[in-house]
Amino acid sequence: MSAPLRVVAVVGTTRSVSKTKALAELIISRLAAHADISAEVIEIHALTPGLGAAVEREQLDERAEAAIRAAESADLLIAATPVFRGSYSGLFKHFFDFVGQYALAGKPVLLVATGGSDRHAMVIDQALRPLFGFFQAWTAPMGVYLSSGDFDGTTVLNPEAYERIEVAVNDVLPVARLLAAAQAQPAAAAN
Amino acid sequence: MAFELGIYHFGELAPDPVTGRPPTPGVRIRELIEQAKVADQAGLDIFAVGEHHRGDFAVSAPAVVLAAMAENTRDIKLSSAVSVLSSDDPVRVFQQFATLDLISGGRAEIIAGRGSYIESFPLFGYDLNDYSELFADKLDLLLKLRAENPVTWQGTTRPALHEADVSPQPEREIPLWVAVGGTPASVVRAAQLGLPMALAIIGGSYRRFAPFADLYRQAAAQFGHDAGTLKLSINSPGFLAPTHRGAIEVSHPYFESGWMANHHQRGQGVPMPLAAYEAQSTRAGAFFLGSPQEVTDKILDQWELFHHDRVTIQMGFGNVPQREMLRSIELLGTEVAPVVRKEIASRQESAEGNR
Repeated sequence: MSAPLRVVAVVGTTRSVSKTKALAELIISRLAAHADISAEVIEIHALTPGLGAAVEREQLDERAEAAIRAAESADLLIAATPVFRGSYSGLFKHFFDFVGQYALAGKPVLLVATGGSDRHAMVIDQALRPLFGFFQAWTAPMGVYLSSGDFDGTTVLNPEAYERIEVAVNDVLPVARLLAAAQAQPAAAAN
Repeated sequence: MAFELGIYHFGELAPDPVTGRPPTPGVRIRELIEQAKVADQAGLDIFAVGEHHRGDFAVSAPAVVLAAMAENTRDIKLSSAVSVLSSDDPVRVFQQFATLDLISGGRAEIIAGRGSYIESFPLFGYDLNDYSELFADKLDLLLKLRAENPVTWQGTTRPALHEADVSPQPEREIPLWVAVGGTPASVVRAAQLGLPMALAIIGGSYRRFAPFADLYRQAAAQFGHDAGTLKLSINSPGFLAPTHRGAIEVSHPYFESGWMANHHQRGQGVPMPLAAYEAQSTRAGAFFLGSPQEVTDKILDQWELFHHDRVTIQMGFGNVPQREMLRSIELLGTEVAPVVRKEIASRQESAEGNR
């Protein structure tokens, strides 16, 4: 029996009640419906002031450091951000500025964003994908972008959104499983 | 006129989630007729039947099914939902619904639409690329057929008619609605023609459709119609049971089966997870899904937004078993309809009083 897939969602929101967080949790619930996973949701606003006050990684408090380690060691990373001033939120980028340059190399990453209207949909491909391209991460071809009209509060209403999530989840799971198994193999051989 | 409530059904033959097998077309059609009978007895205003030309739907000839319903019902209006006018002959549509109107004692209605399926185009020798022009041209002829006999008409997509005698003639003008999905141009067309509009909202937030209702009334006024007399209906899926949980749990597996047969991504049916289905039942969601009280509240909420005249529910999509279907129909007719009609009448009255 293989270990559960470790899924970590980094949610770049500044509020505890958030569409982006709700969307990340919905995606996690769909992942859980198809695979054995353990999940952790990192809300960036909950890491301040420790995260925001630091300039170097050594200056991070324990909590922020643990969150970054969790992201670095995930089997599958969900990078979820609201669109702030036309892009990912500043704190979201600040979080990833502390992540090791090669810590995400080859890691499956599902790109997720929410925005005030459909005009921001390209944030997935024009802001998030280049960032994880820098990390040499394995970004899933299909990202999930929803605009406020797809929600009622934090409930996702649009049925098409659920369809897209389903396809994205089914795309990324086999890759995440394969990569996780490949990483686990050397350890298994050592035993 | 009192607010109207009803049901529409596509006669889909979705695989049963338990056995994996769909019902036979014969079983499905006879169930539909029984549903219309129960809807009539429960005091609902309208039963409408869709037209699809594919093996997973039992009804391609709605007028025939509606004629059978006419013989089993007394008061309920009987409508297509929709007549796929683009790939049909308007003369034939008129004749069939005129006949239905005579059989039923003046209860026939037509909801004309472009439809969201494409199989009828090759089947009847039409080019899908022409679907928009076909619809406009044929709707024009259908309106002419309704207005005069003998009829003289010239259009672009079928041969002209000169002093053609079309029979039988109904004893009244058959109501003709235009169905609209999400195309503003279709809204404007309905408004331009001064025809009542049936707005389909098949998921998500129904508030997103408020601009369509506004556009419809504004455009109608600009075209010189009295927007106050133009009727609007809201049409969405739903299912009722005595309790919220019951409604969800009974209907979800069937809805998901029907959904997977009709919603594809990369050529494969995609499921509708329970969370997605339940989201549609929330106060902001589009489905009339839940207890009678919840459905009553949603219709009344929507009325504040749309000021519409009719709601029809695509009930139990995906072949919910007949026993539960009939109970859902009864709940809509006996528990929801009387409350909604009374409340909307009183709101209309107080609005008039404030003028």
